[in-house]
Amino acid sequence: MNDAAPQPVLDCAHLVRRFGDRTAVDDVSLRIAPGETYGLLGPNGAGKTTAIRMVCGLLRPDAGTVRVAGLPVSTAAGPAKRLIGFVPQEVALYPDLSVRENLRFFGRLYRLPRRRLEARVAEVLDLIGLTARARDRVDSLSGGMRRRLNIGAGLVHAPTLLVLDEPTVGVDPQSRHAILESVTRFGEQGMAVLYTTHYMEEAERLCDRVGIIDRGRLIAEGTPRELVSLVAERDRVRLTAVGDLDAFARACRRFTRVEGAARGGDRDDVVEVVVKDARSLLPELLDLAHRQGVHVRSVEIDEPDLETVFLHLTGTALRE
Amino acid sequence: MTALAVARATVLRALRDRTALFFMVLLPVAIIVVIGITVSGFDRFRVGVVPAPRQGPVARELVADLRSDTGLRTRVFGSAGDARNALRRAELDAVVVMPAGLDEDVRSGRSVAVPVLVEPSGNAGHSAVSTVSAVVAGHAAKLQAARFAAQEAGGTFETNLDRARGVERAASPIAVRAETVDGVSEFLPLGYSYSTPTMLVLFVFVNALAGGAAIVQTRRTGVYTRVLAAPVPSRALVLGETAAYLLLALVQSVLIVGIGALAFGVSWGDPLAAAALVGVWALVGTGAGVLAGALFRTPEQVHALGPSLGITLGMLGGCMWPLALVPGWLRTVGHAVPHAWAVDAWTELLSRGGDLGAILTDLLVLLGFAVVLLTLASLALRHRLTTSDRT
Repeated sequence: MNDAAPQPVLDCAHLVRRFGDRTAVDDVSLRIAPGETYGLLGPNGAGKTTAIRMVCGLLRPDAGTVRVAGLPVSTAAGPAKRLIGFVPQEVALYPDLSVRENLRFFGRLYRLPRRRLEARVAEVLDLIGLTARARDRVDSLSGGMRRRLNIGAGLVHAPTLLVLDEPTVGVDPQSRHAILESVTRFGEQGMAVLYTTHYMEEAERLCDRVGIIDRGRLIAEGTPRELVSLVAERDRVRLTAVGDLDAFARACRRFTRVEGAARGGDRDDVVEVVVKDARSLLPELLDLAHRQGVHVRSVEIDEPDLETVFLHLTGTALRE
Repeated sequence: MTALAVARATVLRALRDRTALFFMVLLPVAIIVVIGITVSGFDRFRVGVVPAPRQGPVARELVADLRSDTGLRTRVFGSAGDARNALRRAELDAVVVMPAGLDEDVRSGRSVAVPVLVEPSGNAGHSAVSTVSAVVAGHAAKLQAARFAAQEAGGTFETNLDRARGVERAASPIAVRAETVDGVSEFLPLGYSYSTPTMLVLFVFVNALAGGAAIVQTRRTGVYTRVLAAPVPSRALVLGETAAYLLLALVQSVLIVGIGALAFGVSWGDPLAAAALVGVWALVGTGAGVLAGALFRTPEQVHALGPSLGITLGMLGGCMWPLALVPGWLRTVGHAVPHAWAVDAWTELLSRGGDLGAILTDLLVLLGFAVVLLTLASLALRHRLTTSDRT
């Protein structure tokens, strides 16, 4: 972004947070423009949630600043917090209150006047498709409905910045689809969205820009197309095999032309390898597998995607 | 306003929790009834009465006088043997054996002795004899009056006995009031006046401790984290939860006081002093409950340890038995917990007719407990909310 760009909704500068000797977030800077959906992509333990807690004023950074619409965010109840809608990873609702009562509760925290509150509750109920279940207790809802309400509770006060921390973890495919559709609509309506996930396909589908975070550091940032172009000349080789696949992946990394190799993908019996010119290296990989006692059942050579980018940048799989 | 939103949600949840309502109202009332019935009548002597075979109206009237005396709880036996057995089993403090031919002896002016049996080891026996003697003496006075009237003014014994009864009913009774110089009662009145205030002290505290489980549960759902992501200072969150639990403790106290007064006839003494005591005790319970909610890690821990802790403190503090009955050192230990001061204050109000001034020391000590507990609770909960990864 240049100086002529509109003021970012979120401006994080050089965020650092340590827990003892471990640096959970290490000099992370990112900006999100109005209406932009930004995906923070990284494996579990990469520092996504810690970064989000600092963005939401739940955790004090050891260094760096967070501003929302130009207002500084701190752990105190400052005005910037009025602009943020936080949707935590867990379903953070009162299970023994009704859907409507939960939405009212979270709306009251933002001091919405009564009529405005009721109007917003009705809008959000409609948005998340729970108007018919408004009087039901949360603990009587299905898991997917609870997830939708969890998001709705972050929307009651019509935030400028919506922060979603892995909202689809443990969600059935149908509900996941509904959540992703909703997030797409938020962006279209002009809301800035910070979305953390370790699902590459979600980041590719939803996000205008993606930041890849690993071991607390933001190691790459750009649109999905820009990031994939980093590995445009690489191939992703998926070997479905049986044997000691961890040892096989380690052995693959010893090839100079291999930029990353790891067990990965959606299945346990897959090793993914990022290479330049897969066709020339493939015989050597198969020979290595044979020598290691790994029985390869199938080989696929795919176009690179964000998973390939991550493997290329870190040498390990996104879900390791 | 945000504190109010938090308080409102917590109260709403508590009022929907049927288990909590059971522990809040039904269980205390049930235990008040059980203990009230158990300890009622301890201030009356248990006396067995063995009527004589074919007894006349004078003997029957004496039996009736014994049975109607408020200081005695009488039980009529068919034989002296059965009554003696009951006395040996410590079911009775004394046995009155109505002598045969009492009516004839009285009419003929002969002296009559009414045997009263007691167990040598029974402490209450001799006191029971005094009460029985007073009833017999009162009865004898009417008989003497009737005989005197018959001798001086003529007429039948029965006619003059009726007159004596009439005169006795018409004359203003001379009341005897026992007063111990510089002495004060160290006990609550027995019956419901004992069980209701002590169970109020016990259950408001135990219920508040158990309420800490809801705080732990809310912490674990992540709702507090979410609240703090809103423009809500942690002190407002703590204030909201504290206000909610204080309100619940007050509601429980008012219910127990009301049920005690209306259903069990408990007189709570000076209203201002009683209200102050209820309020301060609710603060103590609230502090303990919020502190439990901040310190325990799981609701199961609270459910397992909270009531046990509350009951242990209640036992130490005199909720289960009067501290006046325990050794001096245990009484001193008991006053290390707030319950003892609360029971002392109720004893002052219910047994000695004390007012606000009379329980001021107890109130100040309880207020000290409340301030310490609420401060610790607030600090612990705020620390928990603002420092840990998952609150």
